[in-house]
Amino acid sequence: MRRFEYHRAETLEEASRLLTDLGDDSFLFAGGTDLLVEIRERLRRVRNVIDVKQIPGLSDITYDETRGLTFGALVTVGRLERLPLVRQRYPNLRAAFASLGSIQVRNRATVVGNICRASPSADTIPPLIADGAFVHIYSRTNMRVIPLAEFFTGPGKSVLAKGEIVTGITVPPAGDNTGKAYIKHGRRKAMELSTVGVAVSLTMEDGVCNDIRIALGAVGATVLRAPEAEAMLRGTTLDAVTVKSAADKAMEECTPISNVRASADYRRDMVGVLTGRAIKQALEAFA
Amino acid sequence: MNMTTPIEKRDFKIVGKSVRRDDVLEKVTGEAQYTGDVKLTGTLHGKIKRAAIAHARIKSIDVSRALAYPGVKAVLTHENVPRVLHYGSPHPRSASCTKDQYILDDKVRFWGEGVAAVAAISEEIADEALDLIEVEYEPLPAVIEPEDAAQPGAPLIHDVGPGGNLVLDPVRVNRGDVEAGFALADFVLEGTFSGGRPHPAYMEPNVCIADWDGSNKLTFWTSTQSSFMVRGILAEVLGLPLTKVRVLVDHMGGGFGAKQDCFQHEFLCALLAKETRRPVKMEFTRHETFVAGRSRHPCKIWLKQGFKNDGTLVARDMKLVYDSGAYGSHGPGVTIVGTTAATSLYRCENVRLEGRCVYTNTPINGAFRGYGVVQSYYALDIQMDEAAERLGMDPAELKLKNVVRAGDIAPSGHPILGHGLEICIQHGVEKIGWKALRERDRTPDPKHPHIRKGWGIGCEMHGSSAYPGIKEQGNATVKVNEDGTVTLLTGAAGLGTGAHTALAQIVAEELGVRFEDVGTVHGDTDVVPWDIGAFASHTTYLVGTAAKMAAGKVRAAVLERAAMKLQVSPGEIDLSEGKVFVVAETDRCMTVAEAMGPSRGIPAANIVANGTYEPTKSYSFAAHFTEVDVDTETGIVEVKRVVPVHDIGRVIHPIAAQGQIEGGIQQGIGHTLTEDYVIDKKTGRSLNAGLVDYKMPLSMDMPDIETVILEAAPDPGGPWGAKGVGEDPIIAIGPSIANAIYDAIGVRFHHYPITPEDILKALREKDA
Repeated sequence: MRRFEYHRAETLEEASRLLTDLGDDSFLFAGGTDLLVEIRERLRRVRNVIDVKQIPGLSDITYDETRGLTFGALVTVGRLERLPLVRQRYPNLRAAFASLGSIQVRNRATVVGNICRASPSADTIPPLIADGAFVHIYSRTNMRVIPLAEFFTGPGKSVLAKGEIVTGITVPPAGDNTGKAYIKHGRRKAMELSTVGVAVSLTMEDGVCNDIRIALGAVGATVLRAPEAEAMLRGTTLDAVTVKSAADKAMEECTPISNVRASADYRRDMVGVLTGRAIKQALEAFA
Repeated sequence: MNMTTPIEKRDFKIVGKSVRRDDVLEKVTGEAQYTGDVKLTGTLHGKIKRAAIAHARIKSIDVSRALAYPGVKAVLTHENVPRVLHYGSPHPRSASCTKDQYILDDKVRFWGEGVAAVAAISEEIADEALDLIEVEYEPLPAVIEPEDAAQPGAPLIHDVGPGGNLVLDPVRVNRGDVEAGFALADFVLEGTFSGGRPHPAYMEPNVCIADWDGSNKLTFWTSTQSSFMVRGILAEVLGLPLTKVRVLVDHMGGGFGAKQDCFQHEFLCALLAKETRRPVKMEFTRHETFVAGRSRHPCKIWLKQGFKNDGTLVARDMKLVYDSGAYGSHGPGVTIVGTTAATSLYRCENVRLEGRCVYTNTPINGAFRGYGVVQSYYALDIQMDEAAERLGMDPAELKLKNVVRAGDIAPSGHPILGHGLEICIQHGVEKIGWKALRERDRTPDPKHPHIRKGWGIGCEMHGSSAYPGIKEQGNATVKVNEDGTVTLLTGAAGLGTGAHTALAQIVAEELGVRFEDVGTVHGDTDVVPWDIGAFASHTTYLVGTAAKMAAGKVRAAVLERAAMKLQVSPGEIDLSEGKVFVVAETDRCMTVAEAMGPSRGIPAANIVANGTYEPTKSYSFAAHFTEVDVDTETGIVEVKRVVPVHDIGRVIHPIAAQGQIEGGIQQGIGHTLTEDYVIDKKTGRSLNAGLVDYKMPLSMDMPDIETVILEAAPDPGGPWGAKGVGEDPIIAIGPSIANAIYDAIGVRFHHYPITPEDILKALREKDA
């Protein structure tokens, strides 16, 4: 492993200042499950590692029926995965969390870290976008809260300015008439990076879908929404024919690439198959 | 797992029982010493600079900046290492390969080949120093695909060998008259088959530590399956007598055949230690185990067979091309074994085979569990299913009709003694209710309409020992200590298979002492008798027999000594469970300790014996019955259940044998469905040299496996009829999966891995 300088920040302000002062090649360190591997495998040039694990207040999880679920930047994937609330109200998040890496990785990795890594194939991002989650961003001059869907600008890239730090995520409350699903597609059942990931969150009223969000992972430069497919589904009963047309539309809306994991054509095909399956799975909440 | 009644009636005390393995406690507590755990004061860390080009001449190497970097102690290039042409795989007592390797050359033959090595006071510094070495290349045209390499006028990778990028002259086998055979045929099947590049991905990456002492003796710890081979080639290349090279290996985290070569890093480690007069450690990253390790030979096969309408096979014509990568390594052995294997499995009197092995500018392929046979039997067994389909016959019946039988000439050229394939097929057919499965209702489950189920059979046979390619020799030394305990000295490596436990069981059984009283010394070439290496599924068969012979000799000596003390003749006494007793008067007895120890002015006994065994070969057999689910929308194939039925002769340790079978199935599922080490066809760069994108199945992906081990066909060449099991399971599982996929969706695949994309594409073509 290449050598790097280790710094420990006691406050957000200190971490932010270090990020600004130390310049490029400086990275925040929470779970480290991506960062340390990337250093070791020489995938990322790192001069400074800034440990944020001692900063107080970033490990909290709260829920209320108006604001929803909020968790801090140090909350691990494993902790959320095991939370009864997540199991009961956010089966889509639960599926994404339980599919990430291995148990050991999930007990160190943070959801916020997975988001900040901004990988188009990150498992936690599609269901959070489908749920309309928000990101809390700290800077030394102000705090801002933006929709997660607006956070990403490209593979590994986000809107974060130098010195800005994501402190947590808020997921809107899960209403009684909502259905949610996340389906991860890969070659094996664990320790897998998604070939394609599809998340669907929808609400039904009197048998009619009045809102639906579809988020597609690993088929574009960032996790994508499928707005035209969603529009085709809103106001319908989500009958098989409509779902099939919308799934076909989602295939047109994605922009996959070919690599060693799968070809672009296969990924596009899977967007069609999994969009249909995810809608079906989300509807099981009403069965 | 169940066992049939042993054929040979004998009251075994230890053999056939799953005794607690001698290494289990230290492994589960983490105390077992692997090569990487060896710590020597003042150890330097070695790293290798690897080429980022597939074929080139080195115009210049500038190491001045690296040498000046603080903490760097030595840098080696082709300009300052001995230039000795050597074998990659120096199998002693055989001469099937061409010497085609230098420690470092002025030519690069594959992307990832080492061009320089650094020793530094830390791994980090050594790693950083690699970037300071400046290499100027003159690029040469690279050939990545064997077809291109074999073209006349293709760029030559080596100037040694038969030429035309061939690793060895084509292997040709002719039996009977193929043209006359085809003339008898009612129909002919012809097809091309191909196999990818699976990689063994053993848990323990290659690692070695070199230390020279004041007498100029090299002590060398390395994770190897063949310590004496490493000793021999290091001594030869470094110009040392064997007394000046000591190779040590204790526990290993796997090898699967690939740790049989003497690797470039092993030479470089020894030379860096010599140069710096300090111990040097070199440990591969996972990336390096791919690019600088050994994988299975990709293979292209053309197979044409003629059949009579009653299912009789009358002619077989087969051409195989194995891709050796940039060096010969095990290419010759793999080509010979994989090609000659196709004389057998299914009987055919008229056979014409041609096997070629071709150099390409890709990472080196080497020995790997199933050694060339995985490829050739994949083709043979799948085409057999196609013939059954054509005949409207049950594939189990067609296979039973044609399977090799006792007395048939084996690929090795001698008649098969223990024959077990027929009974393996019959047993499996009964156990899973094959006939009912063939006639089952094939309507998809309405809850999962996109899932299709299928069942398939795959058959194999595989030899224990590398005879006749290598004339093998197994050795063992057994000593009886004065307290009645016994020490076995063996050169057989412990890859993690439980080999040392099996050997100790054999010694205890033959000698008549308790298993717990046998200790094993292994892995030190200065101490243990010469060993050929752990490969060819032969350790239990070969070294087991040598150990049994040595144990038999010391048993006779112990009986003689006890007879003297009991004042009877040796013929009147017996030895069992550590006690010597008069047969007619069992109360008159003494322990082995009492027999061995000093008494009444007699000094303690010194009883030592050697066993040396030079076998031919035995064959083990298996039929795998496999159930798959094919998702027709995603193309995902899930292996749901496998019933592997193996005949391996006498079973020494049932749980260890079962573990071998399950592990082979896991590896074989990977090779058939998900694993392929991909090399970019234009540049020769590795595209997935790591465990993120090289997809091995994990525990969650494993099917139910119901192992059946039959002891129906013991081979007199092994201890109490024992035969090998190491390689067999990986051979049969592949065709069983491919045949099951056909049963599920009606599409034939002639290659591996069969990916989800392949499935979807084929389904669309079928529907179109």
